[in-house]
Order: sequence, then structure tokens, then C-alpha cells
Amino acid sequence: MLSQLDSLKTEALAALDAAQDESALEAVRVNFLGKKGSVTALSQGMKDVPVEQKKEVGAKLNEVRTAITEGIDAKKLALQAAQDAKAVEGIDITLPGRPGAGTGALHPLTQIRDLAIRTLRRMGFALAEGPEIETEWHCFDALNTPADHPARNEKDTFYLPDGRLLRTHTSSVQIRTMEAAKTLPIRIIAPGSAYRRDEIDATHLSVFNQLEGLYVSQDVSLGDLKGTLEYFFREIFGAGTAVRFRPHFFPFTEPSFEIDVKLEAKGKDARWIEIAGCGMVDPAVFAEINKARGDNLFDPETTTGFAFGLGLDRQAMIMHGITDIRHLIENDVRFLQQFAA
Amino acid sequence: MQVSLSWLSTHIDLSSYTVPQLSDLLTFAGVEVEGIEERGLSTDKVVVAQIQSFVPLPKSDKLSICQVDDGSGTLRQIVCGAKNFKEGDKVPLALPGAVLPGGFEIKEGKLRGVDSMGMMCSGKELGLGEDHSGLLILDAEAPVGTPFKKLYPVEADVLFDLEITPNRPDLLSHLGLARELAALTGLPLKGERHHANASTKTKKAADEQIVIKAAEACPLYTARLIKGVKVGPSPEWLRVRLESIGLRPINSIVDITNYVMMEMGQSLHCFDLDKLSGGIVVRMADEGEKILALDGQSYTLQADDLVIADSKRPVAVAGVMGGEETGVTEATVNVLLEAAYFAPSGIRRTSRRLGLSSDSSYRFERGMDPQQVLGGSELATKLILSIAGGTAEDVVQVAGEAPALVGEVTLDEERARKLLGTPDMSGDEMHAILEKLGLTKKAANKHESRWGIPSYRLDLLRPVDLVEELARVIGLDRVPSRQVAVASPVEAADRTYDFAMGLRQTLAGRGFYEAQTLRLVSEAQLADSLGGGQGVAVKNPLSEDHTTLRPSIVPGLVATAALNIRQGLHRLRFFEIGRVFLALPKGGSREEERLAVLLSGPVSPTSWHGREPQAADVHELVGQIQNLTRTPIEVRPAKENSANYLLTSELRAGNRVLGWIAQMHPARARAIDARHPVYVAELLLSALRQGSTGPAKFEELPRFPSMTRDVAMEVPVDLANAKVAAFFASQKHPLFVGAEVFDVFMDPSGAKIAKDRKSIAWTLTYRSSDKTLETAEVDAAHAAILSALEKTLPATVRR
Repeated sequence: MLSQLDSLKTEALAALDAAQDESALEAVRVNFLGKKGSVTALSQGMKDVPVEQKKEVGAKLNEVRTAITEGIDAKKLALQAAQDAKAVEGIDITLPGRPGAGTGALHPLTQIRDLAIRTLRRMGFALAEGPEIETEWHCFDALNTPADHPARNEKDTFYLPDGRLLRTHTSSVQIRTMEAAKTLPIRIIAPGSAYRRDEIDATHLSVFNQLEGLYVSQDVSLGDLKGTLEYFFREIFGAGTAVRFRPHFFPFTEPSFEIDVKLEAKGKDARWIEIAGCGMVDPAVFAEINKARGDNLFDPETTTGFAFGLGLDRQAMIMHGITDIRHLIENDVRFLQQFAA
Repeated sequence: MQVSLSWLSTHIDLSSYTVPQLSDLLTFAGVEVEGIEERGLSTDKVVVAQIQSFVPLPKSDKLSICQVDDGSGTLRQIVCGAKNFKEGDKVPLALPGAVLPGGFEIKEGKLRGVDSMGMMCSGKELGLGEDHSGLLILDAEAPVGTPFKKLYPVEADVLFDLEITPNRPDLLSHLGLARELAALTGLPLKGERHHANASTKTKKAADEQIVIKAAEACPLYTARLIKGVKVGPSPEWLRVRLESIGLRPINSIVDITNYVMMEMGQSLHCFDLDKLSGGIVVRMADEGEKILALDGQSYTLQADDLVIADSKRPVAVAGVMGGEETGVTEATVNVLLEAAYFAPSGIRRTSRRLGLSSDSSYRFERGMDPQQVLGGSELATKLILSIAGGTAEDVVQVAGEAPALVGEVTLDEERARKLLGTPDMSGDEMHAILEKLGLTKKAANKHESRWGIPSYRLDLLRPVDLVEELARVIGLDRVPSRQVAVASPVEAADRTYDFAMGLRQTLAGRGFYEAQTLRLVSEAQLADSLGGGQGVAVKNPLSEDHTTLRPSIVPGLVATAALNIRQGLHRLRFFEIGRVFLALPKGGSREEERLAVLLSGPVSPTSWHGREPQAADVHELVGQIQNLTRTPIEVRPAKENSANYLLTSELRAGNRVLGWIAQMHPARARAIDARHPVYVAELLLSALRQGSTGPAKFEELPRFPSMTRDVAMEVPVDLANAKVAAFFASQKHPLFVGAEVFDVFMDPSGAKIAKDRKSIAWTLTYRSSDKTLETAEVDAAHAAILSALEKTLPATVRR
């Protein structure tokens, strides 16, 4: 019996050695340790073993059983380890990633508009809006524009048959906001489309995008205008950007300025680029608003304010070095994907 | 406006300023410098040279290596890019150290590794006209080594192209600009001030000489008769002056009137006195009256056009252009010199309506100084007498009088300081600035001062106009920057913007490209609209391509798709958020913000992983939209489709219309060469936002497990899934939580299921909020629902 056990152990360990997978291991277990396994069968013969040998045989039986069990466990771990080692076999990690839903992108105009809005919101400007189909009063009269001003001409401005027009600037939102205001201060920005009767070419669109700003309170000064817009353009174009204010003329602000920022174009010397118009709200605008409101909320004696407007299309072109404004309305994916996040 | 520095220098000595300094000075006074052109040569280092020989530069089809005699005794090697010369030609040669117009300095250098010791020049490079086609070939007699400027004594000059803002018509002349520069620099004005000292005697014109019948449009008209002139070409100095600023000399009389306009801003006109019949009548035109103008065109006038007429006919469109028949020619002997003040608005109206503008109308419509009329007449008379001879009548006939357009304005100094943001600016400084600008202090106390305005400053009418002058002169560098922040309450526009921005980011994150298309679309594009609204037509469109404000964004996205398909792209994912314009039935219009989506082609981009993914179908579009809102979306097929669409359906969330979806009609898709079906959607931003306002409300998580039961049923093939969904939604069994469709099966061949039937399968979920359910309880609930299902719908449950 002892020799039988020894040869069974040898036989079992050899079988374990040969086993190459989980099911072969299981077969070894069943063959030797299972209900009908050979070791199990021998252990059932224990009852016939003479008393004086029982101790020795029993010990042997345990030894063999333990050896086979441990052999199976060890082999199981070895097989698992061999399999784990193959987990990344054949993977070329340098292949491109799966595209998922693919890349999309926000339009560059949206991105520049959002950057401008986020920057101005940090200074406490709230958003405002107004209709794009406007009355002549909101677009021109209330903005102190003479009745025979060239901008009102049908050559330059789109009109509807009913006499209304497509706003030529977002400045009409200044008027809409002041008309509806309940109290001062007013501190708003209004992004939106404006229309001019320009043939579309590399630098002109008949529909373009502006951002208007208005701050009206008591004691608003040119210093506020300057500080606000310097901050704004340095946030947009970088902390060291030089900003200058050139005196100019607009009917609805006085004094009025155009703003230039000094920027480097690719491979060229930095130069001044015109980027916005601004000024202190003309008292004639306040007077006209009061007349329309029938009160004196915008008392020209005590109320002051500044306004500014900038072209977002132009700003996007400057910021990204876009050479033809028509790219902004054609939506060629080869163009748009250059602005993906 | 073109301004000559040389001309300006007759009024003010600007020699202490460089050209860039002058440019800055003007710019910061509010006069934008749009261009600077330097003319003529001042350097001696451009000489006459003779080309002795030349060979092509190896490996270059343009450049030649030339040996050139510059008169120094040794030949000089020059690499040259021009082609228009031969051996022996004489050309201008810029030696190293020469500074050419534009500030371009010539240096010794190498071109393609070959030494080049100077540059041979074209006319343009030397400030002589625009010819840049090749070298300027000189006369064969020109002596080699002579400084070029002796051959071509072109006066060195700098031309500024200035943008004069409409509020400053007083700057539309050389004297006006000199006056401004004198104020800004403190330099004295020199030479004659013309209008300030008109000394001619005047007399009130007799009616048979001048009658003003339109005093509002023409408050002042003067005429001076000059007899016995000899009209001919202008003298050199006059021609140079006019040519320098781009005016073509015509004859001495016409040139003089142009000169006076550019010198002092007064527009004049000369008539051939012998061609006038009777006296001058200043009147409104008769309706339909015609005039042949000096430009050779005939113009038909209206009753609101001001004309200068004689007893028979109009002889000039007042302030705009003279008539051809009465104009001054070489044959003219006697002239009538007109100097007048015309009101700006009438001139502007007529000029615009006739499409006829001139330097004269440009100045009248911006506003001329009425006080300079006689000064202009006097300067012109003097010049005519000295250049064309003749004798002038010793008095000017005057009708009407110069209107007073400016008066006195008060400056509240404390308010000025507040508006400027310069608390430290003293009253004295303000006074000094205003006086420098030619204003006269009439009165002053501690707080305010009263100022007389010079007649040419038509823009200084109100206190704020004086503050503007102060701001302009001190510049914003003097103003300390100030920043304030104001706590602003959130506005509806902020909420709309943030919501739209969130949508944009979501869609871009899902692989959509954001488009921005023009809001003006063509008549033809309207057929691509979704949502059924009417757009708003523009009265004066620029072209057929942009006639109407869009009633829908989809047409723009279809154009975008077409453009990208032409570039070979067939997986299309676009969206746009923006405004549409809807004409209202009773007139007027409404504007609203919408989101449009266009989708076509494979659900994901192709890659190395395997075959092309399947093309998107309409269900992908519905899914994309459902994922934008918390509220379940109901798709309601429309009864009709427009020509370009199929499957048009309304999307609803509860009782709100959310928008519309459709599949592009295959014929339309073929027309834009789409390879895959194209799907579009247009959604109302406000309706979409309604489903997402306010914080989401938390619901307790279930504490007990749920159990599911599947059901497969056969139904008629045309039974809408929405009907089945509605049935399940109506079930009130306490254990029933909800149901979801998980399979739809049809077999057009009829083999596995009849052609007119389909099989749909749903998973139903059961749960109790207070215990774990027993199998038997769920089975009973499920059986009850299935039996109700078969009673309610034409469905056979497969058991």
C-alpha cells in the first residue's frame, strides 16, 4: 500500500506537470482526489490495513493527498500567471485611438465672443439684447444721428417695406436698455448681429457681429472708460498689450475715441490695429431717452456714461490670423476643426 | 483728403517735426492718417549711371549682374532684377547711403551670393509717378555721375492721406489744418489768413443782378465780375500745387477756384459772363428741369434741388457742379465769380440723389464757414488778376447775409474735470487749451467760463463740445485709468446666453461642428426651411442671394453641408444657434432664438478598426435631441411634408412645441450630392430651456430590488410605437414602475412574420417601495398588464 501510494504520487505530479490548462488540472484532481479517484479509492482500503500499520499508512496517505492538492494549487497559479502575461500580447499601442463620436468644435466667433463676455462679466456687466429689425428711431434718431446722415441712406442700410430697418450697429441695444431701465446704474454688454449694405468680399460681410457695452451712472468718467477697456484688451490679447485711444467722432458719444492695440502679425513688426470705438454718452442721447420715457431718470445734468462697440469678426481674424472674413460664414470643416478645443 | 506738406508749410513752419511725428500729432488730434507718400528726391546719392555690360546671374531667370559706370572712374557691380535695358543705357543709380522716398536706405549687399554695390531704380522708386515696370531709362545725353535730382527737379514733398471726421469740416483745407497744427504745437501761423481780413468793398446786389428765391437753402450769395481775362494754362507753381494733391489742372480760372478751395476751404464757381442771360437767380429747380453739367452728363432735377439760374435756365447745380454751357473755357473773356454759402442738408440731398459728388459738394454738405465767403472771393480775384489779367469790378455784389452758426458756450469746469476723470486739471490749463484753439474768453469766474467760438468751428455748440476739445488736446495718457465693478443682477439675456453656450459645448463635445451662417438668405434657399414660418423680405437687397431674413436656420446648414460635400466630406455633423425672423400675418415680425442640427453619414468617423460604421438614421437624430433635455420628447408625424422633406415631424415636450425634425427628400439630397440620407432638426431655444430650468429635484433611491419581465407582441406593421408607449404610460398598477422597448422586428419577405405585422418587445419593471417582491406577485401584476394590453391595442402577446 505504501509503495502504491508513492507511485500514485509520482504519477499525479507527472500529470500535473503535463497539464496545460484549467480543465486538465481539474481532470488531475478528479482522477486522484475525486470521489472515484485513485487516492480516494486507496484511502477507502484503510479499513483493511492492520492496526500496527494504520498510523504509518495514514500519514503516508495524508502526505500524498497534500502533495497533490498543493501541486494543483501551485500549477493553477502558474497557469494564471502565464495567461496574465499574455493579456496585452499583440497590442500596438502606437495605433491611433478610436474616434468615438469624432471631434466637433465651437465656431471661432463663438469662442471669441465667449472670451469677451466672460472677461466683461468679471467686471460686473450683465447681458442685454434687442431686436435686429429695428425702428429708425432706435437705430439713428435716439443715437443723435442727423436726419440726413449718410448711414441712413438706402445705399448703406437695409430697409423693410414697412420703414423699419436692419440695425446697422448693436448701439440700438443701448437705447432699448435705457428705455426699459427702472434704475441706475446700467452696466450691460450686448453681443449681436448688425447689418450693412456692403458687398461681401475678403474684408466685408453684409451681416457681421458686434459687442456693445454701456455703463451709465453718476460720475462715470473717461478714466472709467479707459480703465475698463485697457483691462479688457489686456485680458484678451495678453497682459503687456499696448492700448491707445485716438480721438474720433461718433454722433452718439462725446468725446469719442477709436482704440488701437499693438499686435504682432506673423513674422512682421508689431503695429497698431484698430479694434474698437468708444466714448462718453452724448447728453443729447440722454435727453432723447428722457423724452421717450417721459421722465428724467437720465438727467443730463447729473448722469454720465460710457459706451463702446467692437467688431467680433475682426477680432477673431486678428486673434487667429484669419486672412479672409468669408471663412467665418462658409463653415468649411477644414477651417472649423482648426479651432477645436 | 490729400494734404501736401510743402503746401502746409506755406502756413506753418513744421521743419522741427519728422514725418512720423507729424503723423502722430494728427492722429492724436483725431485726424486719422490713412497713408503717407513721399515724393521727389532730396539726396545727392542718386546719380546718372551707364550700363557698360551685363550677364545673367547663374541659376536665375530674372537677375543680371551689371557693370555700371557711375562717373567715379571705376566700374561698379550691381545685381538687377529689371529686364528693360540694354548695354549703353543710362539709368538712375542709388549709391550706398542714399535714402529713397519711403525711408528706404540703400546698402552694399549680396544677392544670391553676388556682391551688389547699389541699386538701379524705377521711376516709382524715386518718387516719380507709378511706373514700376522696369528701370527708368534716361536720355542718352544725360551726363554720367550727375546727381539725378538736377535732371528731374521734382519738389520733394510728403503727401498725407487724411480721414477728416464729419464734425470737422474746418480741416478740409491746408489753411484749416495749419490752424489746427498751430494750436496743437504752439507754432505761429505765417502768411495770409485770407478770410479774416477780406477788405473788398461790398454792395447789396440789385434784383436784376442777383435774386435769392430760396433763402433757407442759400442765405448768402456773392458775385464779382472780372472782365478782360485771358484764360490759358496755369503757371507752374499752381499746377504743381494741384497735381501734388491729385487734382488735374484744367485752365487758369478753374485751377484758381480749385486752389482756393484746397487752400482755405471756400468752394467757388466761375461762370462765363457772356453766356449768362440776365442776372443770377438762386432758386429751387422746376420739377423735371434738366441741366448738362460740367462732367458732360445731363441731370434731371426735382423741386427740392437748389440751382443757380440765369433768366432762362439753370446754369449750375448749386454747390455741386456748374453747367457745361456757361463754364469757363479758353475762349472766355469775362467771368462772374460766385462765392456763396449753401445749407448743408440740401446739398447732401441733391448730391446723393443725383449720384453726383464733387470736392465742392463734399465741403458744402459738411458745412462751410459762412464768414469766409468774401475772403474766398477776394483771394480768387487777386489770383485771377495776377494770372489771367483783366479788371475786377471794385465791389462785390452781395445778396442775403452770412448766417451766424456759432455763438458762445459755457464751460462748467468742475463738470469737465469729472467727465474727464482728471481732478487735478486746473481752470487755467483749460483756458489755455481753449485759447490755443482760437476760442475767445468772454467771461470767467471760479467755476465756469464763457467762450466765443470762431466762425469756422461749426462743431462747438454745447458745453460737452468744449470738454471734447480738452480731452482731444490732453489725450487719454493724461487721464488716470479707473476700474469699478458693479454687482449686476442676472438678466434674462444672461440666462439665455448661458443655456445656449451649454448646448453649444454639449454638441461640440458630441462631435458636432458649430456653423455660423448668414441671416440673409435667397428666395431659393427658403424651400429648405423647417417650421413653416415666413421670413422677412428686405426692400433693398444687395443681390438675389441675400433677399430675405431667414425664417429658419436649416437653409444655412444645408448650404454648409453642400459646401463640405463639395470638399469630399460625407460625414456631416453641424449645428447652429441663432436668430430667426418670422413675418406675422397682420404685419410686423417676431425674432426668436433657435437651435438647428444637421446630421448625415456614418455614426462615427471611419478608422483603422474595421469597416465603415453604419450611416446615421433618423433615430440617431431623435436620440441626440432627447439627450439635450430632461423632459421626454414626443415625436408627432406631420400630416404633410414640404417639397424638400420627408418624415417631417413635430417634437413636443408635454404641451410645448419643441421644434421639428425631417429627413431631406432624396431628390434634394441628390441635388447637393449627398452620399447618405440627410436629417435636420430645428428647435425653439426657449421651449428647450423651459424643460431645463430650475434645480433638478432629487428622488430617493429605491431601497428594494426591482424585477423585470419581458413581453414580445405582434402588432400591425403600421402601429406607432408611441401608441404602445402611451398604453404603458397609462398603467397605474402599484408595482409597475415603467417599460422600455428593446426590440423591433419586421420581415418584408413575410417568411418569419407576416408582411403586415411586426414583432416588438418590451421590458417591464416592477418594484415595491416597502419590501422585496415575491415572484408570484410580479407574475400576477405582469399578467394583469398583458391582458389589459391585448384589450387596448391590436396586439397579440407571444406567450
